[in-house]
Parts: sequence; C-alpha cells; structure tokens
Amino acid sequence: MRAVVKNGIATFNPQGFLDGGSAASLLSVEDIEATLRLNVDMILVSLKRVIFFNRNGLDQFVKLFTKARQQKHVVVGFCDYDEKKYNTIRRFYEKEMIFSLFMTHKIAELFSNSFNNQNKTVLIYSSDKSQRAAMAIELHDRGHNPVVAQTLQDFLEKKKKEDAYDVIIEESYLGDMGQQVAARVTSNAVIYTLSGFLDNEIAAKFNLEYHNNSLNVGFRLFIFDAYKVVSMNVHALNFFAKLASAAAEYNATICFVGLSFDKTPQHFKEELEDAGIMFFDKMEDILGDKELLADLGATSAATIKTKRALTKKVVAQLPYFVDAIVETLEMMTNAKAVKEQVKVEKIILMDADELLASSIGFYGDIDGMIVLVFPKTIAKKACELLIGEETDDEALVLDALAELVNIVGGKLKTLLSDEKVSVNITLPRTYDDIEDVLEVIGDRKGVQVDLLFGGEHFSFFLTR
Amino acid sequence: MLFDKRGFLGGFSSILSAKGIICDTLYLVEGQFVITKEDIESYIERIPPAPEAVERTLALLQAGELGKAAKVASEDRALSAYLRDLVNKPIYGFKTEVKDIAQIFSILGVGSSLQAVYHYMMSLLSPDEWHFFAMNQRLFNDLQAELSAGWSKILAHLGIKDKDVEAAIALLPSAVIVAEALFNAHKKDVEIIRSAKDLDLSTILKRLSGYTLFDISAMIAKKWDMPRKIADIVTAASGSQRVEDEEANALGAWMHLLLFYTLSKPHYIQAGLNDFLEFNIEYVQSIYDEFASMMEIEQ
Repeated sequence: MRAVVKNGIATFNPQGFLDGGSAASLLSVEDIEATLRLNVDMILVSLKRVIFFNRNGLDQFVKLFTKARQQKHVVVGFCDYDEKKYNTIRRFYEKEMIFSLFMTHKIAELFSNSFNNQNKTVLIYSSDKSQRAAMAIELHDRGHNPVVAQTLQDFLEKKKKEDAYDVIIEESYLGDMGQQVAARVTSNAVIYTLSGFLDNEIAAKFNLEYHNNSLNVGFRLFIFDAYKVVSMNVHALNFFAKLASAAAEYNATICFVGLSFDKTPQHFKEELEDAGIMFFDKMEDILGDKELLADLGATSAATIKTKRALTKKVVAQLPYFVDAIVETLEMMTNAKAVKEQVKVEKIILMDADELLASSIGFYGDIDGMIVLVFPKTIAKKACELLIGEETDDEALVLDALAELVNIVGGKLKTLLSDEKVSVNITLPRTYDDIEDVLEVIGDRKGVQVDLLFGGEHFSFFLTR
Repeated sequence: MLFDKRGFLGGFSSILSAKGIICDTLYLVEGQFVITKEDIESYIERIPPAPEAVERTLALLQAGELGKAAKVASEDRALSAYLRDLVNKPIYGFKTEVKDIAQIFSILGVGSSLQAVYHYMMSLLSPDEWHFFAMNQRLFNDLQAELSAGWSKILAHLGIKDKDVEAAIALLPSAVIVAEALFNAHKKDVEIIRSAKDLDLSTILKRLSGYTLFDISAMIAKKWDMPRKIADIVTAASGSQRVEDEEANALGAWMHLLLFYTLSKPHYIQAGLNDFLEFNIEYVQSIYDEFASMMEIEQ
C-alpha cells in the first residue's frame, strides 16, 4: 500500500477488516521504507475506513512503526478513529505505546512540523494528567495556544463554546515525538525545526542534499526554528558556519529564531553572525513582516553567483519531461495537448496577470527545475480531479497545483527510472504572481515548451 | 535534433498511437489516460450479447423451469464446465462432486441457479490477462464463489427468498472487471494520483468521465436484460449512490459490507482489490453487529 503524502505527513488508508493476515498484506516493510525515503516527519495509519481490527492486526502496524522510529525519528501513530476504537487500542497496549493516537487528522497536523506557528487555539483534555501536560507543552512549543481542561466536567463546559477553539483534542495520546531536522515551506521560505542539544549529530540529521537543491530551485530564505534548542557545541557551530558560507554563494539568507544563549556560549552568536547568520527572537518577527521577508529574499531570487547551464544530459531526457507533464495534464483535464513550439532561450510569458505557476526541482543522476505556467482557467480545470469540484478559491487552486506538480514529479521519476536515470524531487513551490517566477529563473536559459490545451496556451520551462 | 531520442514527439506519438486490447472482444485506447463519456459508451456498445444458450437458460430459469433450463445449459459446454467448477468449490460445501447440470440446478434452486449463470456471463467479460489487479481467472472465480456464499448467508439471515435478489450478487464483480478494463494501462498513473490524494477508482472515473464504476455495471445489466432490481441493489452496494427503491438501498448496504469483508482477505488485498472502491463505514454501521454475529467475527 502506498501512503498519501502531504505537508510532510504520510497517511496510509487501509479499509475493511484488519486481522493479522490482512494487516500484513496491507502494509509491508518495503512500503514503510519507501515512505521514509520521502523525508516525511510523520507516518499515520488512518482507521477511518476500518470497521474491525484485532490485536494481531494492529501488532503488524506497530512493528512497522517501531522499525520506522528506529530508522528515522519520525512521529508514528493511528488517526481518524472513534471513542470505541480509541479505548480498544489503549486497552491493547496500555503502557507500551511508543506510537501516538490522534482522533482526527486535523489533530495530528498540529503536532507536525508543517503546521508550526499557526497560532491555533486548542482545547485539550485527557484523563491522564501527564498527557495533558505533554500535549500542552508540545503545542506551545509549536507556536499554538493550548487551553487545558483539568477535569472532564471542565472540558465538557469549555467544549460547549466550540467557536472559541480552532481545534479540540480529546481521545488522543502523544507517543514518542520526532527528533529529525524536519523541513517545511511557508511564505516561500524553508523552515527547519531543531531541538535538544546540537552536536556533531546534526550533520547526520540534516538533509544537506535537500537543502542544496532547495537553493538550486530558487529558495533564498532558510529559517532554523530553534525555540527547543537547549544548547550547541563547537561541532554544530562549525556545521552552521559552513552552511552559511555555502548559502552566501546563492545570496541566500540563513536565520535562527528563538535560540537562547543561556547555555550556549555568547561568542558562538558572534561567530555565526560573522558567517552571515541572522538571529530573531520570534518567528512572527520574520513571517509577519512582508518587507523584511522581501529583504531577506523570501519573495525573490537574487542572481546566483554561479550560473548553471542546462546540460545535454538533462535536455536528452526532454521527451520524458514532455510525457510526464502532458500525460498528467491530459489525465487531469481530459483535454488533448497540441505542441505549439519548443525553444531554447529565456522564459517568455504573455498575459502575466492571468497566470499561475508551480515548480519542482529534481536531483540525482541529473538535476534541474521544471516550472509549469498555467492560465488560471486551465489551472482550475487541472485541479478539479484533486479538489472534486469547480472552485474560484485561488488558495485552494494553488494548494492543488502543488499536488499536481508533485504528481508530475512522481511521474517523471517513474519514467526516468525506466530509463535507468535515478532522480529525487524537492518540495513543490507555487506562485500566484508570475513576476516571482521570472525572478526565480532570472536570466537563465532553458527549454520552453508551449502547448495548446483545449484551446488555451500552457507552457513549461525546463532549466537548472 | 539535439534532444530527441524518440523523435521530439515521442511522448505524443505514444499517446496518440492507439493500441491495446481489453478481454477478447473489448477494445480501449492504451497509452493514453483519458477516459471520456464517449469511451465508456463505446465500451458498453462493444459488449457482446449473451450467448444464445445462456439467454435461453436464463429465460427458462426465470420461468421456474429448472429441468428444461438444465437441458439447455448442458448443451453449452463452456457454461456447463463453468457451473461444475463453480459449485464444486469448497465454499459451496458439497461433500461429493456434483457433475450433472440438472442436479446442480436442482440443488441450487431457481435463484442460485440464475446467480450461477449470471456469474458465467461475468466471467466471459473478465480478461484473459489481468494487468491492473494481480488477478487471474481462478482468483476471479473464487471471488465470485465467496461473494455468492456470503450473500446466501445474508439472505438466509434476512429471510429473503427472491430470485432476482439472490442473483444480484453476480453483477457485483463486474465493477472489478470494468476497473481492470479502464485502468489496466495506467497502473502507475493511478498510483501517482493516489500518492497525492486518497481517491478510489470509482471517484477518479467519475471525475474524468461523469460515470462511476457502478453506473457502468448498471449499463452492463441493462445491456444483458437483467432485471432492474439487480442493477439497483448493486448500484446501492457502491456505498456512494442511493437508488429510489429503499429495499434495494437496504440490501445494498449488506452487499457493501460483504464486499469489504471479502476483499479484506489477504489474497484479495495482495491482488490490489481492497481499495478499488471506498468503504463507507457510516453506510453499514447500523448493520455491522448483526453481520459480525452472523459471520462469527470475534468482537
């Protein structure tokens, strides 16, 4: 079974009856390993469509959860269940739970790195006092406002004022939480979350390849969320200083937010500042200040010091890029594509006001970036299959465009893999202002393919 | 040209070149994941009529003429071989092998005999080689037999003796055949879509063409002149579509639950059948305890 992966959360959706035999057939070690390779920070099994399970069935999943935690410190658990299922799982496992239980997917999201600092007001109740405290601390650390009900009666009273809370947490349990350096994207900045004591282990926990490719696809602002960092040693200091030097080549900015120097030598801060790293007290100081974001590069891409030319090796794979994009869009729109022209030059776009775009980077045997530029009408049409209905909500369309370019990336990966070319894909990026695309690409040349879809123009641009 | 290994339009040409065969008689475009309303209507158009012996057997069974029906069925070697193979599967529970068609019909009764002949018709639609699902003819026949046995148990539990209701279960696997036919060349595309969004095949098809898998099953039923009640029950068994007939909706819920009970067995999960359709728990919640007790599922 494959997981649905969105915002760093991988969710498996088994259905029907789960016993030892069926659970082992539903989810395998290979499924978990393939999911871990996607750099997720949470793996969940949804019980929404499971009508029956027994201990043997759940044991199969729990074994895989344990394996996943041993390999990478991701958060693992079950979600989308009712009170009866919750009580049954608690009864099965009592005190041996390394996994978490989230009554809904929405509750799980609160504990994922992709949803940090959203300032949600969250009502919490658990009959277990230590769980109440653990959830409150975790949510507070993640930039939310937890409101803890100390008794069931108190909870029922507070729950009556549903509108007062963004999310209400009950029948949930926090198991072991993640310790990876997880990445998420917001306001077109990449945010990494750090915690605990930072030492030479940071090099192993940090995905440098992912970071470098984020630089290559145009991200210029990298923020380390360091609220939960206790201290760092000289090895971690050297690691971040090197990271800052590499970022400087791309005119990218690295910031630390919330790092306390109570237990970290003050001169470390000076050394990191000398390397070009900036420090802020609160995430809101950056994300809430659009001017500062622009200054720091979150909305634009400064000229890359080393221009990267499109190689023959990348261009030789162009038919596969065309296949991946055209087949995906034909599938999503049920419309035929007609090629208009192919040119190797700087990107040229018409009617910029009516366009939306998304991009995704690829790296491995070959590397580069694909930018898809849609007229808004095609973008909406292409996303209907994912959204399920027509919509004028541009935020929803942009969200679906990110999924769509992910599908293109996945398809490309498969097509290239058939040709023995191995690539990985980065996080997708979307653009509601076409000027941002032009800034990211700068004056780089690439292959622009113009297509006609159902009478409307659509372009994609392949560059490095 | 610099960048062209297969000719620049390599991708397009593969998309536009129509090839591919579904089953022996049905034809769809391969290499192109575009399923339109017209494709589906054309698919239905190309479904052959039921063989004459089958039609006569069905007519006689509908009239309650078991003996005459057995005689006609015996004349069709493929039909009689299928019926012998089906009823001698362990799940039917016969202690000794039953070979004579008259004996088979007499043991099964009118409703189950009708059901068995409809099963045969469905097996004619199933492909020689499966690509989307890891199935084969034997596993498909096992699925038919397991669904039949479960359905008989449910109808006995509900005290329903209606030949059309009994026969309805035979149409259910047509949704699997249709899914195989429409998606067989696009397994990877479907996997990629599903890694971004949790969509079942019926929903993907609906959003592409306006038809669900069960709409197509109903069209097959119509094409083969199956009673309306059969199509209604199977449509309701989709878990996502209601019909006007409330009895059909109630029976559809039982059939939906039976389908997922059956598809939760390891061999069907490994065949990729478990998630071809979304299981609607709310739809079956009110009958679950009764079902669990009837099927002796430990609580």
